[in-house]
Amino acid sequence: MTTARIAAWSAVPMRWYLGVLFIGACIHKISDPASFALDIATYDILPLAAINLVAITLPWIELFTGVMLIIGWRARSASLLVAAMMFVFLAALSIALSRGLDMSCGCFAAQGAEDDPISRMTLLRDVAWLSLALFVFSFDRGLAGLDRWIERRHP
Amino acid sequence: MEAAIVALAGSVIALVFNALRPAGLAMVARSPYQTLVPCPEPGGPVEAIDAGNPEIFSPRSFLIDARSREAFGRHHLTEAVNVPYDWLDPVPEEILSKLAHSIAASAATRVVVYGDGGRPDSGEHLGKEISGRGIKNVTFIRGGAPAALRSNSGEKSSLAPEDE
Repeated sequence: MTTARIAAWSAVPMRWYLGVLFIGACIHKISDPASFALDIATYDILPLAAINLVAITLPWIELFTGVMLIIGWRARSASLLVAAMMFVFLAALSIALSRGLDMSCGCFAAQGAEDDPISRMTLLRDVAWLSLALFVFSFDRGLAGLDRWIERRHP
Repeated sequence: MEAAIVALAGSVIALVFNALRPAGLAMVARSPYQTLVPCPEPGGPVEAIDAGNPEIFSPRSFLIDARSREAFGRHHLTEAVNVPYDWLDPVPEEILSKLAHSIAASAATRVVVYGDGGRPDSGEHLGKEISGRGIKNVTFIRGGAPAALRSNSGEKSSLAPEDE
């Protein structure tokens, strides 16, 4: 087995992991966009006019990319989107941490700052997920995915 | 390019879904969100102690009740002084000064603060505040007044109504 093949197979569980992660992250945001909007507002970065729009659309993009990663359909594009989102989340977290805000990250189910405060660990965690997304983008070859299946059916 | 299309498609579906759902969010917030993010406080070190710790009632402990005047009036630990903790404003300088004098005049070597025992606990926060403003050896009772009441229910003298 070549290194490229090992990397391609390694990308498969990473793809699934990121997919599950993003679907898990979007559920509460889709079901309760008002809470998510409040989480976004707490970062105090976006203008008021943009907060609700982001709160409405971002979770659905997370859902789309999560599903695409799991089923392996256009997984490289999905991982690129995930990487872009992680980059934005990292920037927002860094700004919040540099301001010394005592708040929850709002990444998963609505939690208070007491239960899930942002910290350098949150930042490290997001860097790890960004790295996974970049790995999938670089090495995924559609193994165990819909793309490969379609390719075989319609070469 | 594909990523942009996915993002666009996701956004369109999101907007349609939001428009159709009964509790949809307005596209633009009508008024600013009320976010209350506490800024980092210049608090000092405090140590948590259990409500059953006998040191609480030692003559070397100076007791401070951080709850409201009404709660203090209903019951409080004997010898405790009331310094209601205000979540928004710092303890006024004159009260802190009086407190420092009282502690200095007593035989106490440590300050024991207790609050409502909630999350967050007013006792812990008051402890941090007064510790950060120069009063040394500050502790707070874990669980606050409710824990102190449970722990000392057998000792009549430890928890007394103000009017007794």
